[in-house]
Amino acid sequence: MTARPARLARTLAASALALALAGCAGTDAPPSPAASSPSSGSTSSSTSGSAADAGPASAEPTQGSLRAELDVVAGPVPQQQDGRLSVRAGDSVTLVLNSEIDDELHVHGYDLTADLQAGQTTELTFDATIPGVFEVELHDAGTVLLSLQVS
Amino acid sequence: MIVLAHGVGSRTDLPIPIGFALYGAGAAILASFAVLLLFWRTPHLGGADSGRPLPAGLQRLLDGAGVRRGLQAVALLVAAFVVAAALAGPEETSRNLGPWVLFVTFWVGLVPLSLLLGPVWRVVNPLRLLHRLLRPLGPEAPGAARLPALGLWPAAGALTVFVWLELVYPDRSEPVTVAVFLLGYAAVQLALAQWFGEGWFASGDGFEAYSTLIARLSPWGRRGDGRLVLRNPLANAMATPAQPGLAALVMVLLGSTAFDGLTRTVWWQTGPGSANDWFSGTVGLLLSIALVAALYVLGTRLSGRLARQEQAIQPGRYAATVIPIALGYTVAHYFSLLMLDGQTTWILLSNPFGADGVDLFGTYGNRVDLTAVSADLIALVQVGAIITGHVVGVILAHERALLSARRARASDQLPLVLVMVVFTLGGLGLLFGF
Repeated sequence: MTARPARLARTLAASALALALAGCAGTDAPPSPAASSPSSGSTSSSTSGSAADAGPASAEPTQGSLRAELDVVAGPVPQQQDGRLSVRAGDSVTLVLNSEIDDELHVHGYDLTADLQAGQTTELTFDATIPGVFEVELHDAGTVLLSLQVS
Repeated sequence: MIVLAHGVGSRTDLPIPIGFALYGAGAAILASFAVLLLFWRTPHLGGADSGRPLPAGLQRLLDGAGVRRGLQAVALLVAAFVVAAALAGPEETSRNLGPWVLFVTFWVGLVPLSLLLGPVWRVVNPLRLLHRLLRPLGPEAPGAARLPALGLWPAAGALTVFVWLELVYPDRSEPVTVAVFLLGYAAVQLALAQWFGEGWFASGDGFEAYSTLIARLSPWGRRGDGRLVLRNPLANAMATPAQPGLAALVMVLLGSTAFDGLTRTVWWQTGPGSANDWFSGTVGLLLSIALVAALYVLGTRLSGRLARQEQAIQPGRYAATVIPIALGYTVAHYFSLLMLDGQTTWILLSNPFGADGVDLFGTYGNRVDLTAVSADLIALVQVGAIITGHVVGVILAHERALLSARRARASDQLPLVLVMVVFTLGGLGLLFGF
């Protein structure tokens, strides 16, 4: 079971773009759906979401937010998708999971779980308050969807 | 299933800041040449007979059979308890004591313990107690005469098996894996000890050899005449007895820790190791060990050639000088694991069998505080450990060269020092994540 690498890279890159455009909108105004954005062609799978960087008009540095959209699909070849998602400590992270399978998502370290159901989109939002590198994993399949780097 | 790089854990370290990596690299190179060109020109550290003897009464107590058997019995009970908890406790790794005790508290904790207190596992090794009970059952150690020729090679093999389990085996974090490993390890070790005699454990028990090796950098030593002494850790390291397989043991430790670092890099995770299976892991682990060993042999032999020393004995002669570098790698890679995920052991200890309502020490409801040590401190410890290990290694190699040839030229030592610089820059590169 796997997520499609190319799609992840595209959506993450697109999220970064959307985030940059959204500036310091914060958590209340999520960027437009990243999946519909055209591909930037970038192969980078990491991005940074910090209002301090992105928003010049910010009166006081508010926390940034990052929204990443992922496909969760079953696949015969368990080729692992190991993109790295970089955020600043304190940022709000939203994972949007379009799942084609039933599974349980687990964010290590933060010890957060979310039930994924086939054909449904699940959102998981949390504040990235613990520095380190954490794996985001599918419990049943044992697949690592991505690594979350909080620095 | 948890598929983290090393045995267990919920997090890995952030890449060190680029500035740390660069300053560290610069400091390592500078220190190397300072040692070569500015340090003492005649052997300076004490040898195997140096040190301040401990009071005779204290030595009698520490060396006494009663104390040792007692400590070994306690360790045996703890080990049996951990196996029982691994088998009968909760099935989930995150709630089962076994994996956390083996991979974090014991394996990583053995390092600071041995560094502070000396070869502790030799004293408390529960297998030695079991061996004493089993020994009368078999023939009188028919293989004992062959043991000196084997030296530390069996321990290097045993440790390779363990690091493979820790770093590669896909089900490494399952509690049942831990129980089967501990029981199987004990059975194999006891059978071999039956053949080779009690001396086997120093030669072939990977954990005892590991603890003893790290203890070479502790202040606790034993003089030639058997007296326990307190001495300069550097002199202690210089007094490491030359044994076959010593270099192999150090290379297994260095190479496996380097491989652990490698598996945390994006390069490995998206490249050679993306399948995350036992094949890529096994090949990667063995190649890492082979690579550091080849570099080390090359450096020592080249140095020997320049100094007109017999080249074949060079790798064995300098093996102890690489212990600090291996230790530096170990501290850099496992410090945070012990301090952060190591808390899990103390939480689960309150309810080792996962029974409802049991909370022996009032810690069961606690959560691991992953912010107990800041990311900055972790990075400092990591770079500090690598650089300290490097500087101590270069100093030891310098002293060893002077001991081998009184008029050793600094330039003769250059190949080995360059290899040490490569190890250190490689270590920093792995921490930086390339």
